[in-house]
Amino acid sequence: MGRLVLYMSMSLDGFIAGPGDGKDNPFGTRGHRLHEWLGDGGEDVSGYRPADESGQTVFDELMATGAVITGKRTGDFVGYWDGDHHDGVPIFVPTHRAPASMPPGDVRFVTDGIESCVAQAKAAAGDRDVMLHGACTATECLRARVLDVLAIQLIPVLFGQGRRLFEGLGPGHIELRRVRALESPGALHLRYQVEYA
Amino acid sequence: MNPPIRLSMSMSLDGFIAGPDDRAGQELGRDGGRLFNWMDDRMSDGPSGQVFRELMATGAVISGRRTFELAGRWQGDHHDGVPIFVLTHRIDDTDVPPGSARFITDAEDCAEQARAAAGDRAVMVHGAGAAQALVRAGLLDEMEIHLVPVLLGGGRRLFDALPPDHIELELVRRLEARDVTHLRYRVRHDGPRP
Repeated sequence: MGRLVLYMSMSLDGFIAGPGDGKDNPFGTRGHRLHEWLGDGGEDVSGYRPADESGQTVFDELMATGAVITGKRTGDFVGYWDGDHHDGVPIFVPTHRAPASMPPGDVRFVTDGIESCVAQAKAAAGDRDVMLHGACTATECLRARVLDVLAIQLIPVLFGQGRRLFEGLGPGHIELRRVRALESPGALHLRYQVEYA
Repeated sequence: MNPPIRLSMSMSLDGFIAGPDDRAGQELGRDGGRLFNWMDDRMSDGPSGQVFRELMATGAVISGRRTFELAGRWQGDHHDGVPIFVLTHRIDDTDVPPGSARFITDAEDCAEQARAAAGDRAVMVHGAGAAQALVRAGLLDEMEIHLVPVLLGGGRRLFDALPPDHIELELVRRLEARDVTHLRYRVRHDGPRP
């Protein structure tokens, strides 16, 4: 069984998007700064593969995941990647109510809870890991104790304002175990195993 | 290059430097002591020992008022009797701080005096308030974050009162040790990126 891995790029002061993020501005004002460790991209998602070895290691792991879970907010912002984040793996979206119009591709809205969503995604991914993206969903997964690994790209910048990755998790601390740290020119790739009490 | 004015703070991965409800009698907040487990190794020959010795070799301390009070004013001596400059909004002339501590209201003045007092040694900055005041004024040269592998879930944040202007940093040193990653960043004063 694979693990559920959160992949997020975060500023040193904890932000994952600039201020004023929305559908027309998914990264928030100047939020692109957090994603400069990726390549230039272009038409093809694989075009974002970084040039350095550390960045490539992380990127390749992310692209080898067998399913994606994204929050509805994040998903809406990015149009569910037109239904294909990478390799056509299924995209699971935990939500209270499925939308009237379905996005293209293999996007599955799960309305019976985060645990069910994670279980379905893991079943779909088989031996491969599941990639999680989105701040609110990450918090929800931590509370439900179903998030296994945090893969944080720590970016050397202070944003000052914007959307935080960890907001309102609530007290009761959660221990992490650092399993890897890799340096890229513009990012420190930190990987932690979540160790629930 | 002049010796740096360098922030030193232990921080959880979710950005907290103290647990919830930090106050006199519970200075680190609930569960906040978790952030300082790495200090158990402060006398070691390893990286945490090295970091601690560097802190103790600084030639002046800049602290925020809140931190200073919660720390019991360090009885006037943070280490080796070096001068302590306490950034505060208001000075009460009847309240004379103990030992080598003095109150000061202006960040620029504070940085200048601390630098002069430290001579060829670095200046240590402690406290979220002082840190942010110095960052806003463009006076902080480096920040050493002792990043602790824990999510505290609540408490006092290191960074919560900065304007939305990006401040670019450069990772200049990373030391891995038990219960902590010591990350030293240089603050880039060469202006915002294009």
